[in-house]
Order: sequence, then C-alpha cells, then structure tokens
Amino acid sequence: MIGYICKYTPVEILEAFGEKLERIQPEVTSFEQADAMMHPNICSFVKGVLEEALSGKYEGIVLTTCCDSVRRLYDVLKEKKPEMFLYILDVPRITGGAGRKLYEQRILEFIKAYEDFSGKKFSEEKLKEVLEKKKGTAEPMLSLKKDRLNIGILGARANPNIAKILEEHQVSVAFDLTCTGLQRRFETGKEVVSDYVHGLLRQFPCMRMKAAANREKLMEEYADSVDGIVYHTVQFCDNYSYEYAWLKEILKKPMLLLETDNTSQSYGQILTRMEAFLESLAPAEKAEKKVTGGKAMYVLGIDSGSTSTNAVIMDEKREIKAFAVVRTGAKSGESAQKVLELVLEKAGLKREDLAKIVSTGYGRVSIPFADENVTEISCHGKGAHYFNPKIRTILDIGGQDSKAIRLDENGEVVDFVMNDKCAAGTGRFLEAIARTLEIDISEVGPEALKSKEEIEITSMCTVFAESEVISLIANNKEKADIANGICRAIANKSYSLLKRVGLIPDYMMTGGVAKNPGVVRAVEDKLKAKLYICPEPEIVGAAGAAIYALEHC
Amino acid sequence: MEIVEKFIQYANKKAQEEPEKGWDRMLMGFKANCFRTRFLPKKGIAAGYQKLENMMMRLVADSLSHKDSYVWGNIFAPCEIMHAFGMNSLSIECLACFLTGYHLEDYFIDFAQDLGVAPTLCSYHKTFVGAVTSGVVPAPSYAVTTSLSCDGNLNTFRFLQKKKGVGFTLLDVPYKDDEAAVGYLAGQLEEMVQKMEKVLGKPFDMGKLRQELETENETRKELKKLYQLLQVHYYPGEVVSQLYLMMGVHLLMGKQEFLELIQFMNKEIEGNPVFEGKKILWVHLIPFYQETLQHYFNSSRDYQVLASDIVLDCDEELDVERPYEALAEKLLRNVFNGSYKQKTKRVLELMELYRPDAVIHFNHWGCKQASGGSILLKEEMKKRDVPMLILDGDGIDKRNSHDGQIKTRLEAFLEMLE
Repeated sequence: MIGYICKYTPVEILEAFGEKLERIQPEVTSFEQADAMMHPNICSFVKGVLEEALSGKYEGIVLTTCCDSVRRLYDVLKEKKPEMFLYILDVPRITGGAGRKLYEQRILEFIKAYEDFSGKKFSEEKLKEVLEKKKGTAEPMLSLKKDRLNIGILGARANPNIAKILEEHQVSVAFDLTCTGLQRRFETGKEVVSDYVHGLLRQFPCMRMKAAANREKLMEEYADSVDGIVYHTVQFCDNYSYEYAWLKEILKKPMLLLETDNTSQSYGQILTRMEAFLESLAPAEKAEKKVTGGKAMYVLGIDSGSTSTNAVIMDEKREIKAFAVVRTGAKSGESAQKVLELVLEKAGLKREDLAKIVSTGYGRVSIPFADENVTEISCHGKGAHYFNPKIRTILDIGGQDSKAIRLDENGEVVDFVMNDKCAAGTGRFLEAIARTLEIDISEVGPEALKSKEEIEITSMCTVFAESEVISLIANNKEKADIANGICRAIANKSYSLLKRVGLIPDYMMTGGVAKNPGVVRAVEDKLKAKLYICPEPEIVGAAGAAIYALEHC
Repeated sequence: MEIVEKFIQYANKKAQEEPEKGWDRMLMGFKANCFRTRFLPKKGIAAGYQKLENMMMRLVADSLSHKDSYVWGNIFAPCEIMHAFGMNSLSIECLACFLTGYHLEDYFIDFAQDLGVAPTLCSYHKTFVGAVTSGVVPAPSYAVTTSLSCDGNLNTFRFLQKKKGVGFTLLDVPYKDDEAAVGYLAGQLEEMVQKMEKVLGKPFDMGKLRQELETENETRKELKKLYQLLQVHYYPGEVVSQLYLMMGVHLLMGKQEFLELIQFMNKEIEGNPVFEGKKILWVHLIPFYQETLQHYFNSSRDYQVLASDIVLDCDEELDVERPYEALAEKLLRNVFNGSYKQKTKRVLELMELYRPDAVIHFNHWGCKQASGGSILLKEEMKKRDVPMLILDGDGIDKRNSHDGQIKTRLEAFLEMLE
C-alpha cells in the first residue's frame, strides 16, 4: 500500500503501475513519536501522518512540497524509514505555462524513480484507462437538499468527523471544497501525461498556490446557496486562517471556525462546536406548552462541566424550584447521578416527578437518564436571556474552556467563539496559579482586589505563566499583585474572545470564574462596562437546559 | 533615557488611538534614532557594529519617509533588483523588529489574531499584518516576496493585497535545484522586472544590477574574512548585532556602503585582542530582547556568537553576465531551501570553517521549517560530539518566550561547556 496526502499527487500514475493507494487520514491518540522526532508545534496533521508512517502500514509514501511541515516530514521519514519508497514531488505554485512545464518534468522524473524502484514499466495506455474509468464516477461539486439544512465545508483538508457529524444530525453537506472533498476527474487528450499534469495543476487551488483568485470566486458563489459554512483549520497549520479572516469579512453567511488536531480525543470538542453551530442556524421549534391540568410540572436541566456538575429544577412557570452544584469527579456519569439525587432532595421531589431531563456541557452525552442533550452554548444563551433579557454578549469561563456568545433580542445564539485547546484564561489556569501561590482558588479574587502594584503577566501559556509567577515569587513580589496580574491576563484573553463576536452590551459573565471578583473587575476595566452576574453564575447553563426542556415537553 | 522611554510610551499610545498620527510620531522616533546611533555611540560595542546599526536605522527611516523609495519584501526578496530600480527593499521581518522599539508587538499581534489570523503563525508575520491592518504602518506601491523560506510569505502578502490593495510578485522558488528550476525562477525574475517597470513607472538599470552583483561577490568575500577573524579576535557586540548583520546581508547586499562597512569591520577587528572565550555557532533567528541572552552575550569576553546560518545562508559566487540566472541560483541554493540535508550540510561546513565550541539552535514560535528539523540537526551534532542546545521561544513576542526557562537551559548548557 502506498500512502499519499496531497491532491496534486499523481495518484493515477501509481494506479497505472498497478499499485494500491490510500490517502493518509490519521486519527491518533498521541503524538508521542512525532513530538520527539520533530517538534510539538508542527502541524498536527503532519505529526499524525508521521505516527501512521512509523506504524509500518505503508510500503511507500509519496509526498509533495505542499508546506513547510510536510517538507520536514520528508526529512524525518527519510532518516527514520530508509527502507521505504519515499518521494517528495516538487509542485510549483504557478499553475500555467512555466509551472506546468516544470511539473511535467518532475512527474517524468517521478515515473523513472518508481520504475527503478519497482522494476515495473510505466504505460501511457494504462494511465489513460485509469483516467477514463474515473471520469464516469463523478458527482456534482454542489448538491443542495430540500427540507434540510445545507452546510458547506471550506478550509484545510476536512477531518472526516465533520461530514459524519453533519450526516448524523440530518444535515446535508452541500459542498466540500477542502483538499479531501474534491473528486479526481481529469480530461484525457493526445498527450496523455502532459494533459494529465495540466489537469492536476488546474484542480481547485489550495492556499499554497499562487493563483487563488478562482478559489475565491467559486467559494463566494457556493456560499450563497447554503445555510452556513464550516471553515476548517488544522492546529499549527496557519495558511487557512488568513482566508477565514477574509471570508469572515466578505461572506454574509454564518460561519463556524473549527480547528481540529487529528487526535481521536478531539471528537468531543468538534461535536460541541458543531452542534452549537447547527442549533444557532435552526433554533428548535418551540413546542406548544402542554396543559398540565393544574398539576405542577417539573423539568431538570443538568450541566456536566469539566469542574462542576450543576442541576436546576424548574417548574412550568419557569421558576427555579431548586438547584445544586457538585464537583465533577473522574466519571461525569457518577457526578450527574449525585447531583440528581441532591437537587431532587432540595426540591422535595422524586425522579418520576420530572417530566423531562435535558443535559448539556462536555459530559452531556454520558448522562444516561437525560432525555435529550443540547450544547452548553445554546443553553448559556437561553439561561442568560432568562436571567436578564437585556444581555447580548456572554463571557463564560469554565474549568477547561472559555467562550464568548452573542445573542439576539430573543436570546437566540447569533455567533460564538471558544478558546483553542489551551487552558490559558480558564478555570484550570486559575487553579494552577492558585496552587503556585499557595492559596485556595476562592482566595485569588479577593486577594487581587488588595493589589497595589501593577504587574504584567505576559505569558499566554499556563505552563509559561506558572513559571513566570514562580519568578515573581522569587523576586519577592506581593501575592496580591501577582494574583491581580493573573486576573488581568485572563481579562486580556477574554477581551480578545469578546471582540471576535462583536462588543455589544449588555454583558454577562457566567461560569465558575464569574465568582472571582478579581477577574470580574479586570474584565470590566477592559470592557469599560459593567458585567451582569447572577447570584449563581455556575447554574446558567443548567437553567438554560431546563428552559429547553420546558419548551420541548 | 527617561525622555526616550516617555516618547516611546507616547508614540505607542498614539498609534493605538490615532494610527496615522501615531505613525508620524514613530517615524520621528526612527529619525531621532538615526541621529543617536550616529553621534552618541554605545560604550563597549565595536564601532563596526554601531555603524551597522546606524546603517539599518537609516535604511528604515529614510525609506519609510519616502513612499516611492521602497517596496515591501521578505528577507529573501532579491534586494539587488530593487536597488537597480533605485529603490530599497524593506522586509517584513525587519520592519516587525523595528516596531518592537515602540513595544507595539503585543498590540499588533493581538490585532491580527482578532481578525482571525492563527495564533500559531510566526510572530514576525503577525506583527506585520497587525501593524498594517490596524492602519498604523502605511503601504507602499508594491511588494515582492518569495516562497522561500516559509509558507507565511505568500499568504501574508496576499492578505495585505486584499486588505490594502498592495500588488505583489511571488517568486516561486522550486525545492529541487537543477537547470529546469534555474530557468523557471530566472523567468519569474525577468517577468517581475517587467511588471515593476510598469507598476512603478521607473526604468530598470541592468548595468546597475550587474554592478550590484559584482559588489555582492566582493562583499561576500569580505564577510568570509570577517568570520575568519572572529574566530581569533575579540569583537564586542550585542545580541541584536547578529540580527542587524542578518538584515544587512539581505537588504543592503550589493550596496557599496555595505561592502565598505564590512571592510571597516575587518580592519577594526584585526587590531583587537585575541578572544579566549567560547565560540558559539547560532542557528536560526535570535530573540534580541531576551535578557538572559543579553546578559551572557553582550560585549562578552567569555562567549562570542561566531557565526549564524541566517547570515551565511548562501555561498554563491554570482555570475555577473547572467544576472537573473545568478539570482535564481542564489535563491535555490540557499540554506533554507530544499531538504533539511542542505541545512545540515551548510552548518557542518560552517563548523569546519570556523570551529565553534558549541551550537545553539533557536526555535522561533511558528517557524515550522526550522523547528521541524531541529532534532535532525541535534542528532547530526551528537554523531560528531558537538554540544548543541535547542531553545524554544519567540523572536518577537515576549509572551511566548519565557526568560526564566531560557535562563535555566542556557546556564546549564554554558556550565556544560566549561
């Protein structure tokens, strides 16, 4: 089996040699070997390919000079797998005239190299056969379905989970213009190889190619016909972020920026972001409220977060009957059971009194007793609107992530952004720093309020910030000043998120970190506006889930 | 110095509040700095390095004061061609460094990231993108970039073309160096000259280009001599001197005054005492602001940065009779092009020539082509029993480069060398 990654690879030539090919689509659990052989900050797709290549699955790998990370992948593989047929094809960035001529020469060199390696002879006739066969299987690039949400996928090579999640949610993938979504169909002419090379270079261009004008034209045209766009980027591949920044400005369609890293663990993160996006595109129909015949009706909203699991019981008049908060243990299912018992006890109700249970949060799918699950983004929107209908922008800082959510006047989510896979600016970050300062996490905020000297914590990374704090302690800086520096670092990061959804008042802060007066003050200073904080900021998501339950009873 | 710091703070604030006015103040500061570097020399630093600093300062201040006198580039954009148009090439890496003089890098980087540009992108590019899109740094009429040495070049310039309408030429440098590649790239250079003549409305002087290449060949010989002399003599500089040298080699190459500067340095160094400390071969960019590095390397009698692959990235004698082909070969054979083997080979050559005691490789945040191969280089050094340290950090953004961590690693490494 020969592996390849890039759409400019002459796949059909290898097929004409009679070889079996597979596009490498890694899904790994760790980058243990890649991190040691390359560097942790290399494109995670490339690190994934390295892990797959080292697993011995492929007898040969054909790469192209598509980006810096792949160039280095070739260097490392050459060193580590000398027995493998490893080839790097130099793809020009210019697709016409001189570029075509150069690529044709490179392809001929490649054919020669493969003949030498395999002992086989290349035949133009075979290539023609392969190409003719593929022509018949082509499907249209744009396909819209009636009565369904139609979503387009753009950006860097799409992670297969994106289409899978869309299909599971009965959403149609109207187009996939990423490298992996394109079909291979090439015209065959008299000059078989030369025409084939021409066809290869004329494919829908990626961001490394010089002429990306056609790319934009087609994207704009296709984007017009769909309900929303998922713009995919790969962690540590920066090329597509420029295009996202530009499209965000010119396309009028809702667009979700989705970063993935080719690890199987990232599925949960992808799911939350995509479900929230779909929920914001098609807010669920509000069901007619059932008449309960005078008897009170209760629903439960349960928010299973990384740090705490929160529950709210609400009656049909949307009044909170009881709420409870417990620390999430190693198993989110167990914490959910615990909080269920606790909240029922507080409300003086039994399990069978609950007409519907809706779960939300990272652990929402692991709660066996929930009737339905909704993402925490939609639930925070509903919850915030419930507590204060004037709210248009929410800052939610939880244990492992932080997000900014923008609402319309009906409390529907219009836009949201979440932090990347990094704990900086989250509750975990605060916990780490509190440990270093040898104070309880609940003391960080009050301590920060006592600050007299302004200290700048510049590091964005939790690990760096921790060592920066250690240096400050070594320099005899006051705890209060360090704590305040940390609160301001979180505020800076949060402000950046808020800016990305547009700074529209009124503002609300939710999540456990909203209980930290130091962070609240720092965010307010940055925003030059007050934050609305409800008495129990941790239960906003659960309250939103309860409202959802009421709407769908 | 208090006045200088106050002015920096004032310009910084102004740039964020009123970008255009802020830029005027910044330009004023650059000009003042030309004066300072010329007439108020620093103590303990070789005159050659100070002249170099002044020359770079003048290149930036003079160019930025006249919109039609420069084009944007990256450090590999052939400055010789721009010189033959009577213009300068201001690279984005160089401009980004100069903007840090006003402590604006955080603001610009955040500005770019807020637009959606990836936080994992090289900080030089982010600083520059932020500086331009925030409206602080004005745009010239044209830009030239190369696909060498990183992916960011094409995309940064394409983005700025959309945002600010600055047309540009991308020189696609093939990976493989052969006759076909030379022809392909030389053709692009020729096309670029024709396009620039039209866009800039300026005539191109082929005779001047040939002259530039001749001076360049001469300068390269003098540079080699400089490094031979550095092996023997003490030549006090600062961490930032290496960066200025890198910029000079890429932006002033071909100019008579740059040749004369290197000749001046060679004369100056010859009269200096013998250097008895440890000599370091620095690989890749250098974080000039890092306190620990400044502490150990500025005017140090114990450690001297002897050479850097980023200064000596090319060893080509240019054929003056075939200027386009010569410049194409220069790019193709650059240490940053092609396979990492090309880089390892060059570092080994530099080691053979200059006999350093140790190698330090700096992994600049976001630079995949450098960090992706750093382990390979370390393995190669291990085979030869050469001590090598890999430092992770950021050439510009202090938030990605923690001094405490660099300090521990560097000190342990230097202790190891004793």
